[in-house]
Amino acid sequence: MRSGLVGVDRTQMLAITQDVFAAMVDGGEVLVSARFGAVPEVVDPVAAWVDMSVPSLGFGARAVVRTDRPTADVLTRALLMMGDDEHVGLDDFIDAFGELANVVGGNVKSLLSVPAVLSLPTVSGQAPVMEDNQFIQDIALDWRGHVFVIELWMLVLEPVA
Amino acid sequence: MKALVIDDSRTMRRIVSSVLSDLGYETVEAGDGQAALDVLESGTEVDLACVDWNMPVMDGLTFVTEVRNRREWKDITLMMVTTESEHGQIVRALAAGAHEYVIKPFTPDAIRDKLELLGLLPTEERV
Repeated sequence: MRSGLVGVDRTQMLAITQDVFAAMVDGGEVLVSARFGAVPEVVDPVAAWVDMSVPSLGFGARAVVRTDRPTADVLTRALLMMGDDEHVGLDDFIDAFGELANVVGGNVKSLLSVPAVLSLPTVSGQAPVMEDNQFIQDIALDWRGHVFVIELWMLVLEPVA
Repeated sequence: MKALVIDDSRTMRRIVSSVLSDLGYETVEAGDGQAALDVLESGTEVDLACVDWNMPVMDGLTFVTEVRNRREWKDITLMMVTTESEHGQIVRALAAGAHEYVIKPFTPDAIRDKLELLGLLPTEERV
């Protein structure tokens, strides 16, 4: 089964996210933890994702980071060293949140069982439409009292000879 | 010493530049490989280039290849700073002429250690 190619478990997703936040956001401290229980419904959702594709096998994966816009703004301020009251512009948000997804996704790619090509990040005000693709795994996380979710999907691609 | 930080993400350029500034580097930035070549063509002299791999317009591997084809830039040390962590990709970058390879996410110490190995720490940072 091709989903076996995306053999990434929740422990690995947590470890990757902890490493990314510790290095990029929190000055070496690990402040991300797994969240237990129901994830509250997200108001004002935002998502960023990168694709990892293996065209020759007609297979790919997508790593998605989802949260709410206020949390994304807090992350953006931290990543761009902005003041707490500084306005986060759309370009700031797209760049910072997209790079976060890029680094998380790039590290997920290293766990795939076959080499894949990494896309540039996409940032959106809504979750990607994934109806023809296969859900693999997700994990809800807590960071400084904010909630976000990392999802991994398998993409069905047109095989390229 | 001067470093050219090449990444399509302003966020990552800020992070890399901040680490290098703390180590005593002056930094200039470019958003893709072509923009970085333009910086070098303009006569800006750098000791080090930190190069992302996946960028629009011109990717990091192409930039490394272009720099290595130019005799006048032979003294520039090229360090890939990228999420590409597969062994095959690292080998490709080193074969193209990169001197070092740092995988994102990285700590400031990881950058410092690589520069120390390369003998590229500014004098006041050397222990």
